[in-house]
Amino acid sequence: MQRIRIATVVFCVLLLIQIVRAVRREHIRVEISMGWFAATALLLALSLSDRALNLVSGLLGVRDPSFVLLLVAGVLFLSTFFRFSVEVSTLKEQNIVLAQKLGLIEWEVKRQAAEIERVVRDHLMEISPEGRDTEEGDAEEKQQTSAGNEL
Amino acid sequence: MLDIPTIVRPHGWSKMQNSSLLVLIPAYNEELSVAEVIQGVHEALPDTPIVVVDDGSLDGTAQQARQAGAEVIQLPHHLGLGGAVQTGYKFAFEHGFQRVVRVDGDGQHNAADIPALLAKMDEGDYDVVTGSRYLKKNGYSWHPIRRLGGLIFTAVLYPILDQRITDPTSGFVAINRRALEVCSRSFPLEYPEIETLVVLKRNALRFCEVPARMFPRRRGQSSIGNWGAVYYMLRVLLGVFVNVIKYERRFHTGGSN
Repeated sequence: MQRIRIATVVFCVLLLIQIVRAVRREHIRVEISMGWFAATALLLALSLSDRALNLVSGLLGVRDPSFVLLLVAGVLFLSTFFRFSVEVSTLKEQNIVLAQKLGLIEWEVKRQAAEIERVVRDHLMEISPEGRDTEEGDAEEKQQTSAGNEL
Repeated sequence: MLDIPTIVRPHGWSKMQNSSLLVLIPAYNEELSVAEVIQGVHEALPDTPIVVVDDGSLDGTAQQARQAGAEVIQLPHHLGLGGAVQTGYKFAFEHGFQRVVRVDGDGQHNAADIPALLAKMDEGDYDVVTGSRYLKKNGYSWHPIRRLGGLIFTAVLYPILDQRITDPTSGFVAINRRALEVCSRSFPLEYPEIETLVVLKRNALRFCEVPARMFPRRRGQSSIGNWGAVYYMLRVLLGVFVNVIKYERRFHTGGSN
């Protein structure tokens, strides 16, 4: 009994340190860390307090209080994982919508850009002989550049 | 100063504006077959715009599709078949298309059968018409496990849909604007064909099948392997179950979709 309580206290302290470090380095967000802090604090309190542990054992009808520690830890972590599953699913859904919008907008932008380029070129050709010269000059220059690249 | 028109339309806009039909080809790593598929559609329906949704391919699928004359929507990363198809449906819905035919990018579907799908849609005022490889023998023998899976799905779907669907996994499908609105709003991400039937039923849309010839994949490999087939079965059955629960809940509470 004493060993498992010591092990749980050590585990909780290490976990708390790890959570604080992760929050400080912004590896996890503060609102996400709240669940972990609460779960670890509860487990730590049960490990350190005989009274609290016996009370919970009595409520659950469990003879061995060390089993209560494992049970509480299991329930807490399963709950946390479930919450994360919900959040991951929500994020995935949002990610799909964003990716689809990005694909559709990118198509629209590329086509708009191509159309603008075509319209501007047409107008330059229509109204300005210099424009035509410039276009021809540009075309020649592009041809020379591509020929140079090929060489 | 140049007088540039304020309303600027995309390059392929005029072709798209003149057509009420769009052919949608979802493709993922199909650089070896997508051009042939586009060519087949061009031959079957010469003036119909084609949109390829490139689902984050790692090869030259998008380039091949553009060179073959299709418009290409490139997704920033791989979403899965459902995500790609829904992108195409959203595109078609936003641009006012009345009908969309989906053809897979792996070359399994025969573009020459597209007119038969559309004719059936007009004939019976159906919202969705699917090409079925099992309504008539087409000379190609399908793997027994695959056929067995199809029969299981047919049996499971029969009481839910109140009609027999011989090829529920077929992705060769024509849909009208009513169905387009539903599918652009709600569409399964993975293995969408079977769940979509339940979604359509939930929305009181009419669907039927016509015989269609289908070929083995021209090139590349199927995304569903042996273990994948087991996952596929379980995943789809769960998806169908969830959709039925949603439908029942809506039916009993009288809520809208």
